[in-house]
Amino acid sequence: MLRSLLNTLRLTIKELRALRGDKVMIVLIVYIFSLAVWMVSMAASTEVNDLSVAVVDEDHSPLSARLIDSIQEPLFAPPALIPPETAEQAQIDGDYVIVVSIPPNFEHDLRAGHTTTLLLSVDATAVAFAGTGATYMTYLLSQAITDYLQPGTADSSLVDVVFRNRFNPNLRAAWFSSVMQLMNNVTILMLILSGSSMIREREHGTIEHVLVMPVRPHEIVLSKILAMGLVILISSVASLILVVQGAMGVPVAGSLGLYVFGTAIYVVAIGSLGLMLASFTHNMGQFGLLVLPVIVILLLLSGGLTPLESMPDWLRYVMLWINPSAHFASFAQSVLYRGSGLALVYPELLAIAAMALVSLTMVLSRFRKILS
Amino acid sequence: MEFVAQLKNVSHGYKATAALSDVSLDIPAGQMAGLIGPDGVGKSTLLGLVSGVRKLQHGDVTVLGHDMSNRRARGALGARIAYMPQGLGRNLYPTLSVRENLDFFGRLFGQKSRERAARIDMLLDATGLAPFPDRPAGKLSGGMKQKLSLCSALIHDPDLLILDEPTTGVDPLSRRQFWDLIDRIRENLSDMSVLVATAYMEEAERFDWLAAMNDGAVIATGTPAKLRADTDSTTLEEAFVKLLPGSAAQDAGVTLRPRVAQDNAVPAIEASGLTKTFGTFTAVDNVSFNIPEGEIFGFLGSNGCGKSTTMKMLTGLLTPSAGESKLFGKPLRAGDMQARQDIGYMSQSFSLYGELTVRQNLDLHAKLYDIPADRRAARVAEVIAEFDLDDVTAAMPASLPLGIRQRLQLAVAVIHQPRILILDEPTSGVDPVARDSFWRKLISLSRDGGVTIFISTHFMNEAERCDRISLMHAGRVLEVGSPSEIVEHHGVATLEDAFVQRLEAAAAPEADSTKDVLPAARREITVVADPQGPLRASATRLWAQTWREGLELARDPIRMFFALAGPMLLMITMGFGISFDVNKLSFAANDQDHSPESRRLIEGFSSIPQFDEQPGFTTVDEMNDRMGRGELTIALEIPDGFGRALHQGTTVPELSLWIDGSMPFRAETARGYTLGLLSWFSDLIKSENGQSTTSSVSIETRFMFNQAFKSAYAMVPSMLMLILLLIPAIMSTISVVREKETGTIANFRSTPVRRVEFLVGKQLPYIAVATVSFWMMMALGHWLFELPFTGSLPALTLAALLYVTATTGIGQVVSAFTRTQVAAVFATAVISIIPTVNFSGLITPVSTLGPSARAFGLSFPGAWFQPVSVGVYLKGFGFGDIAPNLAMLALFCLAYLLLAALALRKQEA
Repeated sequence: MLRSLLNTLRLTIKELRALRGDKVMIVLIVYIFSLAVWMVSMAASTEVNDLSVAVVDEDHSPLSARLIDSIQEPLFAPPALIPPETAEQAQIDGDYVIVVSIPPNFEHDLRAGHTTTLLLSVDATAVAFAGTGATYMTYLLSQAITDYLQPGTADSSLVDVVFRNRFNPNLRAAWFSSVMQLMNNVTILMLILSGSSMIREREHGTIEHVLVMPVRPHEIVLSKILAMGLVILISSVASLILVVQGAMGVPVAGSLGLYVFGTAIYVVAIGSLGLMLASFTHNMGQFGLLVLPVIVILLLLSGGLTPLESMPDWLRYVMLWINPSAHFASFAQSVLYRGSGLALVYPELLAIAAMALVSLTMVLSRFRKILS
Repeated sequence: MEFVAQLKNVSHGYKATAALSDVSLDIPAGQMAGLIGPDGVGKSTLLGLVSGVRKLQHGDVTVLGHDMSNRRARGALGARIAYMPQGLGRNLYPTLSVRENLDFFGRLFGQKSRERAARIDMLLDATGLAPFPDRPAGKLSGGMKQKLSLCSALIHDPDLLILDEPTTGVDPLSRRQFWDLIDRIRENLSDMSVLVATAYMEEAERFDWLAAMNDGAVIATGTPAKLRADTDSTTLEEAFVKLLPGSAAQDAGVTLRPRVAQDNAVPAIEASGLTKTFGTFTAVDNVSFNIPEGEIFGFLGSNGCGKSTTMKMLTGLLTPSAGESKLFGKPLRAGDMQARQDIGYMSQSFSLYGELTVRQNLDLHAKLYDIPADRRAARVAEVIAEFDLDDVTAAMPASLPLGIRQRLQLAVAVIHQPRILILDEPTSGVDPVARDSFWRKLISLSRDGGVTIFISTHFMNEAERCDRISLMHAGRVLEVGSPSEIVEHHGVATLEDAFVQRLEAAAAPEADSTKDVLPAARREITVVADPQGPLRASATRLWAQTWREGLELARDPIRMFFALAGPMLLMITMGFGISFDVNKLSFAANDQDHSPESRRLIEGFSSIPQFDEQPGFTTVDEMNDRMGRGELTIALEIPDGFGRALHQGTTVPELSLWIDGSMPFRAETARGYTLGLLSWFSDLIKSENGQSTTSSVSIETRFMFNQAFKSAYAMVPSMLMLILLLIPAIMSTISVVREKETGTIANFRSTPVRRVEFLVGKQLPYIAVATVSFWMMMALGHWLFELPFTGSLPALTLAALLYVTATTGIGQVVSAFTRTQVAAVFATAVISIIPTVNFSGLITPVSTLGPSARAFGLSFPGAWFQPVSVGVYLKGFGFGDIAPNLAMLALFCLAYLLLAALALRKQEA
C-alpha cells in the first residue's frame, strides 16, 4: 500500500518533469488560461449588448428623432440610419440584427388618432438575440412614445415592478462566460493532455517498459491524472484569481476553497475520460478524431451556453448521466455566484466523482488489452 | 566519369554537436563503395548529403557531376539517385500491400501504368517476393521488408544506389540473400554505383572500396585488402579496430569463460508449450525450453519470427494463449510483483523516458524497484561507473549515440540486480567496438554474478559467445544446442552456414528466392523507360500521393468511422441540444394579497409554457435559499392590498421580482417574458376598469428568415460551419507529421515529388471524406430537422467544397510546422476550437462582435462560411449573394497551401 503510494508519487514527479521539458505545451497552457479566457469572455457572449440596429425613418418628425435617440447603449449599438430601399439587403447581408421602420406621417397619424404600425424586422437567424432583443426594443419604443405623447405619464402605469437580479445585478455576461470559459479550457487541455500522454507512451514503448517493473497499472494511470491535474488545477485557479477576478473585475461570492475542491474532482473526471478515450484508439489520428466531437459536446451541451432546461428531455437526461461538465457548470455557478456551501452542491460533486470512477475502472480493465 | 560523388571540405552539425568535420572524399563510380565505422560517426549524415536529403551546410558536394547546393540540379538528380534510409522498412507504408508500395514508388517517378506493372513484376521475380504481392508490408518478415525496400529503390533504374545500413536487424540468411541479389543486379546494371553504410565488418569484405570513418572524419580509404594490409590484420574488423586512435584499440576481444554447471538446480526459465495468437495469426507456436541458472542463452531468428513475443511472455507483459512459463520453478502470473523484481528487461527499441536525463532515469528506476533509500544513491553511482556513463549523467538520452543509449538501457535493466536478464536485440545497430564492451559486461554478469541471460541477436559472432542458442523461425523453435554442437550436427564450417542451411530447409516451401533470378534480373534492363511529359508526370506524382493517402485512410476503419460518424453525432446532439427557446423557467410566487387579481396574475405565469410553477414561498429567506440551490429562476412577491390598489387607482402597487442572474442569457429572457406578461396584465385590468386600453400605435415584430423562430433552423447551418472546420482539420493534421514520425517522409525528400504535389495530393482524400460528411449532414438537416432550403444548392455545394479545402488546409499547415502527431493534434484542437465556437457567428453574430474579436473571427474561414450556410438555407441566397465569400474562401485555400509549402522542407537540416 505504502509502496503503491510511493510509486504513484514517483511516477507523478516523472510526469511533471516531462511536462516541464515541453516548452510548446507550457506556452499553450499559459495562453489558454490567460489571453484565451480574457478574449473570449470579453468579446463573445449571449448578453444583449451592442446589438446592431438600423432605423429606416420615413417620417422625419420630432417623434421619430426622439425614438432614434432612445435606442441607446449598452443594449443597442448606436443605430444606423438607412434608406428604405437598402433595408432588406442590409439585413440579408447580416449587417443588422434589428431594423426599425418608422412609416411616413407616423407622428401626424398618431396625433390624429389613426392607428399606425411601427415595424421591427428581426433577423431570426441570430436566435440567441432575436427574441430578447425584440422584446427590449418593443418595450423601449412604447415607453418612448408614451413619454412623448403624454409627458409625465409614463411612470403612472398600473403596476410597478421592481426587478432584482440576484447574484449578478446587471446581468453582465462576462461574469458568467468567464467562468464557463475557464471550465471549457480545463476540459480541452485535460482531455487532450491525458489521452495523448497515454498514446505517446504506448507508441514509444515506455509503458511496456514500466510494466515489466514492479509497478501496477493503476499507479501509472493515477500518476498521469495527478501530475496533469495538478498543473491544470493550479493554472485554472491562478487564472480565476488573476484574470477573472483581477483583470476582468468579476466578483466571486463563494468560497474559493470549495471551488478548488470541486475543480480537483472535475479535473480527475476529465483526465480519466481522456485516458478512457485513448484506450479505445490506437494512434493519435484516431484519438484526435474521437476527442474533438467529445470536447464540442462537453462544451456546448454543459448548460453553460444555453440552459439545460431548454434541451429535449431525452438529451438532458443523457447529458446529466454522461457529461461531467453539466454538473460542473451547475456547481461552479452555485459556488461562485450564489455563494452556495458544500451542503447545497454535494450532489453535483458526487455525480462528477461517480463519472470519474466509471472511466477509471474502464481504463484499468482495458489496460492490458491496450498493450497487445 | 571517374567519381560518382565528390565531397570537398564538408562540415555538418546539429545544434552544438558536429557530425562531420571538414571531410573531403572522392567516391569511385561504378563500384560498390562502403562506409564503415562505429555508430554516430557521421555515416548517415554523409549519405544524406550525397543523396540530397540533407541540406548542405559547409563545403561542396558534387554527385554525378552536379553541384548539390543547386536546387535545380537536385531536382534533376532526384530521378537518378535512389536512397534507402536507415531502419528496416522505414520508407515503406505498412498497411499497403507489396505491390501497392511499389506501385506508389513507380508513380513518384512518373511512370505509366504499363511500364510500372512490367517493372514491378520483374523486381518481384528477382527478389523472390512474387508469391506475396498482396501481403501488407507491415506483416512481412524483416528480410522481406528489406527486399521490398530495395525493390522500391530500384524501380526507376537509378545511377546511384545509396543504402544506409540495409542489413541491420536482419537474419543471416536474408542478409546473405540480400548481398547476392545486389551482386546480381550489379552484374546486369554495371554502370550503377552503390554506396553502402554498414556496421557489419564481414559484409564490408565483399565491397570494392571502403572509407573508414570515426568521429566525423574519414580515417582511411581503399580496398578491403589494402586496409587489411596497411594495418597488418587478418580480418577487416581487426583492421578497423587498429585504425581507431587511442585506447579503443587495446581492449579488443571477448573471451567466454566456461560456466560452472550446477546440477539438479531448478531451471531459471522454464517454458512449456508457449503459444500466442493475435486474431488468426499465430506469432508463437508451441515453444518450449529450459534455461539453467547462470546460462547465457541466445535466441536467433529473422525479424517477426516470434522472438520478441516469446520474450514478452516470459516477462509477463503478454499473457500466453496457451502453455506456461516458470521462473525458478514458480509459474509466472501477470500481477506477480516478486517475479518482476527478479527480471531485468531491455526491449528492442529504446524505451526509457526521453524527457528525463540519464541520471533521472536511473534514479527513477532505482526507486521503482524499491531499492532502499540508504543504498539507492550508492547503487546508482555504482552502475554509472560500471557502465561508463559518468560523462553523460546530465544528458538527455535522445542526444546520445545508439551505443551509449544501449549501455544506459542495460544499466537500467540491471540496477535492481535481477537474477534473470531478458534482452531483446540489445546490440542491433551498435558498432563492433561498443558491442564488444557490451558483451564483456554481460559475461561478467553471468559468470561473476550468476545472472541468467536470455538474449536475442542477429550477430553470428555474438551467437558464438552464448552457452546455448536456439533458432526460431515462423513462430517455432527449429533447433537448440551449444554453438559447437550445432555446427557439428550440420557438418559445416561456421555457425552462420549451419543456420543458413537450417533456415533454407525451413523456408523452402514458402519461397525459393535465390534460384533462377538471373533471367529475371536480366529482363529488368529490357524495360524501356517511356517518360511522360512534365505536366502528365506532375499529375501522376500528385495522384500517387492521393491514391496512397486514400488507401491508408480506407485501411484504418476506425479513423474512417470516426470521421463520418463524428459529424453526424455532433449534428444530432447540437441540433437538438443548443436551443434558445427558453422554456420551463422555474417560477414561484409569494402571494400576500390573496385577491382575485393576484391569483389572476399568478395564473398568467403558470398558463404559458415558458414558466413552470413551483410551490409558493413565504419568506425572503426561503426564496433566497431555493434560488441559491438553483431550484428557482424567478420569484414574484405580491404585496398585501395589491388587488385593492389596482381598482382604486390611487396608489401604484409595487411588485417585487427576483431573477437568478447567474446565467445572464436565461435571466434576460426571463425578464423579457415577464415584461410581456405584465403588459398583458395591465391591459386586462385597464379594460376591466373601463379605461382606454389600446394606444393607437402597434409595434409589430416580424421575425425574418426564420418565422417559426426555431433554434434548430439557425443552429443546423451554423453547425455545418463548425463541424466542417473541426473534423477535416483534425484529420488532415496527421497527414504530413505522421510521415515525419514514421520516417516515410524520406520518400518525399529523395524523389522528384514537389512540395505542392505532395501537399495537394495528400489533401484530396480528406476533402473527399469531408464532402461525403457534408452531404450526410445535409440529409440530416432535410429529413431529421426538416429544415427549409430556400437558396441555391449548387452555390452551397461550391462554397462547402472551398470551405473544406480551406479547413483541411489548416490541418496541413499545422502538420507541416509540427514534429509530432501529439503536438499537431493538440495545436489544431486549441487553434481551431476557440475562434470557431466563439467568433464565427455560431452564437454571436459577427456583426455584434467588437472590432478585435471580429478581426480575429474573420481571419478564419469559419466566419466567411457561416453567413453562406445560413444565407443559402434561410435567406434564399444564390451565387450572386455569396460571391465575395467564395472569393475569400478561395483565398484561404491558397494562403494555407502556400504557408504549408513554406513550412515543409524538401531537405532536412
